[in-house]
Amino acid sequence: MNEKPVLSCTDLTIGYKSQKTAVKEISKGLNLTLKRKELVCLIGPNGSGKSTLIRTLTGIQPSICGEVWLHGRRINEFTSDEKAKTLSVVLTTPVQTGYMTAFDIVALGRFPYTNWAGRLSNSDKSIVTNALSSVGAGNLSHRFIHEMSDGEKQKVMIARALAQEPELMVLDEPTAFLDLPHKIETMRILRMVAQKTGKSILLSTHDLNLAIRCADQLWILNRSGTMIAGTPEDLVLSGIFGSAFEIDGVHFDTTRGEFTIPVEKRGTFHLDAPESIQKIWTAYAMERIGYVPANGSSPDIVIQVTTGDSTPVWQISHQGGKKECQSIREMVECISSSWHLTGGDPN
Amino acid sequence: MNIEGGDAGDSIKRFTVVAPLIIGILIFIFILDLVVGSVNIPLDALLQIITGGEVKETWMNIFWDWRMPKAITAVFAGGALALSGLLMQTFFRNPLADPYILGISSGASLGVAFVMLSAGICGIGAIFSTIGFIGDLSISVAAIVGAFAVLLLILLISAKIQSNITILILGIMVSYISGAIVTILLQFSDESAMHSYSFWTFGSFSGVTWGQLPFMVILLLAGYLLSICLVKPLNALLLGEQYAESMGMNYSRIRVTIIVTTALMAGVVTAFCGPIGFLGIAIPHFCRALFVTADHRILVPGCILVGGIVALCTDIISHLPGTDIILPLNAITALFGAPVVIWVIVRGTKFGRGVIT
Repeated sequence: MNEKPVLSCTDLTIGYKSQKTAVKEISKGLNLTLKRKELVCLIGPNGSGKSTLIRTLTGIQPSICGEVWLHGRRINEFTSDEKAKTLSVVLTTPVQTGYMTAFDIVALGRFPYTNWAGRLSNSDKSIVTNALSSVGAGNLSHRFIHEMSDGEKQKVMIARALAQEPELMVLDEPTAFLDLPHKIETMRILRMVAQKTGKSILLSTHDLNLAIRCADQLWILNRSGTMIAGTPEDLVLSGIFGSAFEIDGVHFDTTRGEFTIPVEKRGTFHLDAPESIQKIWTAYAMERIGYVPANGSSPDIVIQVTTGDSTPVWQISHQGGKKECQSIREMVECISSSWHLTGGDPN
Repeated sequence: MNIEGGDAGDSIKRFTVVAPLIIGILIFIFILDLVVGSVNIPLDALLQIITGGEVKETWMNIFWDWRMPKAITAVFAGGALALSGLLMQTFFRNPLADPYILGISSGASLGVAFVMLSAGICGIGAIFSTIGFIGDLSISVAAIVGAFAVLLLILLISAKIQSNITILILGIMVSYISGAIVTILLQFSDESAMHSYSFWTFGSFSGVTWGQLPFMVILLLAGYLLSICLVKPLNALLLGEQYAESMGMNYSRIRVTIIVTTALMAGVVTAFCGPIGFLGIAIPHFCRALFVTADHRILVPGCILVGGIVALCTDIISHLPGTDIILPLNAITALFGAPVVIWVIVRGTKFGRGVIT
């Protein structure tokens, strides 16, 4: 299928032109494409130029050289009205408006389509209602925006962008103010919107774990201005993803697809347990307190987990001593108390 | 899930039900303003006056030459102040913004101070305080010139500077500068000039003659009309200028239109009635709380009507019906208006409480 990309750029150089002909290039030679129904996460450390790229791709800021194509046309050829019907945005700045219901806010998304007074036709109204329900905010319709939580507000702003009926939605850090479940929910909504309504979505984010799991494509912009684009899994496998973000001591765990918190290494362990959720979390707990899997060599600690019909039991074999623990907390306390007793019996 | 219908439509429907009631109140207060004052005109005499019957000549004069232009001025000036306050609060997204925040009225005050006070310094001040009509007119012209000068300055600078906050600060600075010049002028002027200037700063709806009235009404109606044309962009601006632009609004054009419309209304009101405070900042909040919406399709007509009603009420109170005393209008607007506004915005409703812009 040879479909026209929704957004693309060829040999694009982004940056700032100051008045005295000095040009500050942030990144150059960018060739990017965003297809229909695709969700692209733009990631990169602070100060790498994500915002500049987004501003250039949405035509707010002129490029230094190269072209940005929106739906097959140069972006600077669009009138503001045409652009509003092709591209909508969700900004980072929270909306602080009183006495506006979610419906009113989303209805503003119909701005490019309504008459001089902004009168909503019946079809406008149903578009607004549909936009609200497709982000799961149908029940918020009559609530005031200033009484909503950040997560609810974000849903409403996404619905507003959706009601503008664009081809492409661009979101600047839509997960920034949210707690983890709401971050995930927001990404789930965006994926669903992309799949169900056929919109393309470009978003910038700092939530790398989430980006790996949700994006069809990752655009990684690193501090030196180099852009790497690709499928998240490919970028992880080739090690590009890890190397783009690792800083001193923080390591990207390619197996788990997460950045791990470095801890002082205390020893090795062997975990003897049936495949279960208890096994996974016991291993996490051990890693947290500084033990790594022994992988065949003789371990410092052996843990046996029995997950019968009753509650699970952790049996620690440690320097000759043995102890049964009823919880991971007990297990951790038992192991860490032995650090002070040099070679003594933990019991 | 009840997701049918919509709030925008709901609040407009609610407004169309309430609007006739508000217009009724406006008409009632308007008539009240015509009949009460230092001389109270009985209702049957009022009917005689309107139908062209025979009444006491003094009543005729009071009614037509004094109270009618005053009441019309109050209705339009009150609406215009409320409206320009609304425009500024939305434009700056600041609940403390008022019609004078651009420095327009400071410019007007400076113009008036120049005419009243510098003439006094030159020893010809008596001319202005004695020659009634020409004196009034020269004051209005001075105020308009002053307001226009500030408007030009603001437009010139806003063409170069994108930031709204810069315009805000600029307006405040203009106010300080003109205040400083006025203070210096006051220092050197004689007592009668000082008195007439401070009297002007009290504000009054009574100074407009039949000859000036059409001029003022036409200009303010133009301001109303421009504001009505701005309802959609104003609604978009509730989300901030970046969102508004992303929805296809031409921000630089709308910005100039909002500034010019506000300057027109605030400047004209200041020119004919003096710097009337409080109404412009309070009535938009009052209307938001009253109509429980931020939708400008409701707030613009709402401010025009409610602004007119409140201005008429303050005018009635300031004339202390039954007495010869006239209190300064500016004192009345704040003294009687502030508690009402406090009550409206603080009362607990199911829609929440407090000022939210």
